[in-house]
Amino acid sequence: MSTTFLPCGEYHENYRQDHAWWQTRFIKTKMIALVLVLFIGIPYVADEYWLSVCNQIGYTALGALGVQLLIGFCGQVTLGHAAFLAVGAYTSTLLILEFPWPKILLDLGLAYPLSIFVAAVAAGIWCVLFGLPSAKVKGFYLILTTMAAQFITVDFVITQYISQIGGRGQAFSLPPGTIKIGPWVIDSDLKIYYMMIVLVIVLTAAVVNLLRSRVGRAWVAIRDNDISAEVMGIHVVQYKLFAFFVAGFIGGVAGAFWISNLAAISPEHFPWFWSLWLVGVILIGGVGSIHGTIFGSIFMVVVMELLQMAVIPLAASYPKLLMDFLFIKEAAFGLAICAFMIFEPNGLAYRWWQTKNYFNLWPFSY
Amino acid sequence: MRARALVAVMAIMVAAGWCLTASAAEVVVGALNDMTGATSDVGKDYALGIAEAVNYCNDNGGINGKPIKLVQFDYGYRVPEALTKYKLFKRMGAVAVQGWGTGDTEALAPTVAADKMPYVSASYSGHLADPKKTPFNLFAATDYSSNARATLTAWFDTRWPKHADFNKRKPRFACSYMFASPYASAPIKAIKDQATLLGFEIGPDQDVSLFAVDAKSQILALKDFKPDVVWHGNTTMSVSATMRDAYALGLGADHIINLWGFDENLPRLAEKAAEGAMAATVCAFYGENTPMMPKVVEYAKKFNPGVPQEKRLIRTIQAWSNVLALWEAMKRADKAGALNGEGILTKGFQTMREFELGLGGASLTYTDTDHRISGKVPVYEYKNGKFQRVEVVDLKGRWPDKWQSWLGW
Repeated sequence: MSTTFLPCGEYHENYRQDHAWWQTRFIKTKMIALVLVLFIGIPYVADEYWLSVCNQIGYTALGALGVQLLIGFCGQVTLGHAAFLAVGAYTSTLLILEFPWPKILLDLGLAYPLSIFVAAVAAGIWCVLFGLPSAKVKGFYLILTTMAAQFITVDFVITQYISQIGGRGQAFSLPPGTIKIGPWVIDSDLKIYYMMIVLVIVLTAAVVNLLRSRVGRAWVAIRDNDISAEVMGIHVVQYKLFAFFVAGFIGGVAGAFWISNLAAISPEHFPWFWSLWLVGVILIGGVGSIHGTIFGSIFMVVVMELLQMAVIPLAASYPKLLMDFLFIKEAAFGLAICAFMIFEPNGLAYRWWQTKNYFNLWPFSY
Repeated sequence: MRARALVAVMAIMVAAGWCLTASAAEVVVGALNDMTGATSDVGKDYALGIAEAVNYCNDNGGINGKPIKLVQFDYGYRVPEALTKYKLFKRMGAVAVQGWGTGDTEALAPTVAADKMPYVSASYSGHLADPKKTPFNLFAATDYSSNARATLTAWFDTRWPKHADFNKRKPRFACSYMFASPYASAPIKAIKDQATLLGFEIGPDQDVSLFAVDAKSQILALKDFKPDVVWHGNTTMSVSATMRDAYALGLGADHIINLWGFDENLPRLAEKAAEGAMAATVCAFYGENTPMMPKVVEYAKKFNPGVPQEKRLIRTIQAWSNVLALWEAMKRADKAGALNGEGILTKGFQTMREFELGLGGASLTYTDTDHRISGKVPVYEYKNGKFQRVEVVDLKGRWPDKWQSWLGW
């Protein structure tokens, strides 16, 4: 599924062409157009509501990217990823609120960007801790150890200890103006959107590049058959733990990003349900596909919002429909997962792949 | 073919929803409710009350002739969802929002302040009562912190003098609540401060989930401390489970409860264990004798006939309180020619002085420096199968020097 056929008449003559990011002029144009749409088109067209929907897609995609890496590329099933988002969010928040930053860094607006990096590293290391059992166990047993990450991290460490710092109780307030990058105070949906787009692009590119490297090939080998991978000389434990680190790192960035959207943060923002939701995102988008992560995030957020839009006109006659929508939404989520598992186990990414190949091979598609 | 027709119908509906804005004559009010999430045990009845109260307002002239268009969503107590729903309300031209939980209300507070959107929440967190920090957050109830202080004071005034150890030792006090929940933890600092003020010995807090159906380990941990009174900060389902276990394990303490854990369902769920429980309620119980209660009951029967009257809760009255307060504020703002966020706040809410809703709660006074409606808190107890008023604790009158310093926490 990973191979996309070249359009009719396009040939690669060397490895450089074969490994290029954007292999044809058409793809390059398409990607430039996509960047323009993301950076100019959407902010120009979308109002505050749709920008906030985009931000939620970005948050979901960042969270799901780490899950995709672990489940889709390294075969390590995780059901506790919200914990690492929480570690990132809390580390960044604490650094911003409590760390005695040198004045020059504060003046330059570097406190938040640096806190994102530290938060990501902290979440990565924390993720490795819960990845350690993967050296010994796999399958259902590994799922249970990753679930433990959720309960130990959010319900125990953060709730009982981290949240007590500062004496407010359980929620940290992030006063307006706290989140600042360089001279820009991140105080509007548009600024959050730009930050989200940059983070999603940078991290997606980083993960795609990692997957094209020796490390990525080792992960895929472990996913496909860890015993064979070991026989081939891959240090399985080392690579598994590195996958956990990278997944945690990305989760940490997602958490640290999300605080820019909030004015107060509490453990309630990272429920176990969110870990399940992220797995649902990659199942619907397509396991083992970066496109799938993005498609799954868009599907899970936008389709639900559009369904809601469809319900609004009917609400004039049936007011209770809006209130009952969440029941429909929950049921739709469950049904969508069942339907994808049965009819399209490769997810939305597979449809995308088929569509692209159809046009690439046209008029000689078969 | 049928699938294509379905897609076309959906597309038309999406487009219609996309373009939806209120007609000029309507005043849009958004409402975020929890019918399916962690607090749905109390959220369902509240949501019904919101819709019924808005119908009452519209039947009685709306906003000086303009009908209120209520857009009500269930967000399942999920904070990210609350954020996008709020933006959707704005997009639909809402002039005010009826909000729900403490987590999302606190998370949205700076946004609503920047948007100048009056946000009347079912969260009565003391953190939302200081207009310097949260100018557009309001609620038609005494705040959690005042309620917690008042309930502990009422217990200290009425129960402790009858205790065998009165004047022999300090009374012992402990808290049981979900640490992770901003709602449950909001008044912790205040109630402990009050406990210190009244001379209590404070025991270890117990972490009990909002979803708890069993709290035996927490009760066993409390038994070592032997509290005389335990404050419960969760909602009814969880509180009743904790009280049942306390009864079964013979904890021997009295129970005081935050208002979202104290309603008509408590004795149904906790049975004998509920006897003697105390709480500060912010309004009358459903069906109690107050001037507006006949209307509340009439509209409940009219708009939700499928919900049996005996299942209706005090949550309905809380919802009516918030809706009637906002209605009054919007009417005043409209009369002043300023039916917008700032107008509703300054020409509406902040002009109310001792305004009576007729629902059994404290009268409403909002100023530009204090959004706590009153310093007088009614405290109830469940005794002999009935909810009865114990006393009205006048916090402001009793601690006039401290009252102002308690604002905002």
